[in-house]
Amino acid sequence: MNASPVIAVTGLHRGENPQPGSAVIRSLRRVYPELRIIGLVYDSLESGLFSEEDAPDAAFTMSYPGAGEEAFWERLDAIREIERFDVLIPCLDAEMGPLVDAPEKLRERGIRACLPTAASFQCRDKAKLAELCERTHCRTPQTLAVSDVNSLHQAALTLGGNVFVKGRYYEARHAITPAAREAAYWHMLEQWGAPVLVQENVPGEEYNVIGLGDGRGHMLGSCAIRKMLRTASGKGFGGMVVRDPQLDAIAQSLIAELRWNGPFELEFVKSEGPKGEYCLIEINPRFPAWCDFPSTLNCNLPAAALELALGWQPREALRHASPGKFFIRHAIDMTGDIRDLAALTTTGQFFRQPCEIIPHPVTSRSL
Amino acid sequence: MKLVSLPNRIYPSGQPHDAALSADSASFDFHTVTWQADGFGFDATSGEFFTASPTALMVMKALSEEESRLQILDRLTARFEVTQSTAERDLETFLAELGHIGLVPEAN
Repeated sequence: MNASPVIAVTGLHRGENPQPGSAVIRSLRRVYPELRIIGLVYDSLESGLFSEEDAPDAAFTMSYPGAGEEAFWERLDAIREIERFDVLIPCLDAEMGPLVDAPEKLRERGIRACLPTAASFQCRDKAKLAELCERTHCRTPQTLAVSDVNSLHQAALTLGGNVFVKGRYYEARHAITPAAREAAYWHMLEQWGAPVLVQENVPGEEYNVIGLGDGRGHMLGSCAIRKMLRTASGKGFGGMVVRDPQLDAIAQSLIAELRWNGPFELEFVKSEGPKGEYCLIEINPRFPAWCDFPSTLNCNLPAAALELALGWQPREALRHASPGKFFIRHAIDMTGDIRDLAALTTTGQFFRQPCEIIPHPVTSRSL
Repeated sequence: MKLVSLPNRIYPSGQPHDAALSADSASFDFHTVTWQADGFGFDATSGEFFTASPTALMVMKALSEEESRLQILDRLTARFEVTQSTAERDLETFLAELGHIGLVPEAN
């Protein structure tokens, strides 16, 4: 291992559906500003590469997950010939399966990671959520896995017609009409492969819990929010910290049952009405894109995950964020340089240079 | 953000808040919501927030201090030109509305 560990992070694009990598980097640098961080990217236009505040020190293009596991490991080895990173923080759903299924491949390379076991990873699969919820007495909307159009429509009818069509790893679309269902089905199949999930729609407010499991059934820290703003595709663009003992207890029982190791996000809908109950929609096996928000409130989960992966003593206990604190996402424009783009496109790597200041053409005026 | 107010237009509904109704404390808890003297309420368990009219705030504060309905009706009739029966009907409507938006336990 390097004297000062080098960290690799994926998922650096903060577009319409923001990925978590840049938020992870930002959180890590809050605690370890000198940490060397490299980005593993799938596209040379991942926006986080061009950020002033949370860009990696260097970036390398990866082979797409669709290229197969062999290509994935070969590329990882080639990158490590140049940058021998010590810790990997995967931030994309599609990456998790191959890593969780082959922890020995990480171990034999000396790469540390904070990952769940294959068994607990499987138990939180969208198609198996009902079994997990039955064991933990948690409500979950009925979800059916389908692999053809006939079974899609049959499943939707069984669930009352008003459903969400969801990708195996990511994305969901609300669909009421058969045409909308079918369009969503083909989209999910093309993007994420079979099976496609059809989930009963539970109207209500959305709540998310981010946390870090220690692999022995405990949460090292967590933060719960109510989604305040949503994009057209349902992504949270603002969230308010809440502290509901009932929600905390449900989250604790799920993580205890899974003996979850590493970062997670639990997504719930609380059904409408005074007696509304929390329904578990899905469990994401990684940090969400809003993971830097709790870090501003003394609950730095990415830094704690790094310490857990390295076997370091935690700096301090993670605190509960105060209810009433909220985040609003704010999209801004990044300035890139064609030289960086060229380097990444032609050689598959670029190393960040000191920022070039572009002087403003007009001298400042006093008002 | 939800607005919490009594139904009858005889009660003041907007800002500024009547100092006499809310000046005796900076904030108070009623059910799961913490109400500020300016009528802003925040529910830490659900993350929802509300605004209340000065009269609604006065009624909720009285309820939080376990005043009886009779005492609350006396307050309303003493302060506003409203008959006992109208005040009683308004209070019942208001309490039902609180229950509907989940601001009081169902038993209330």
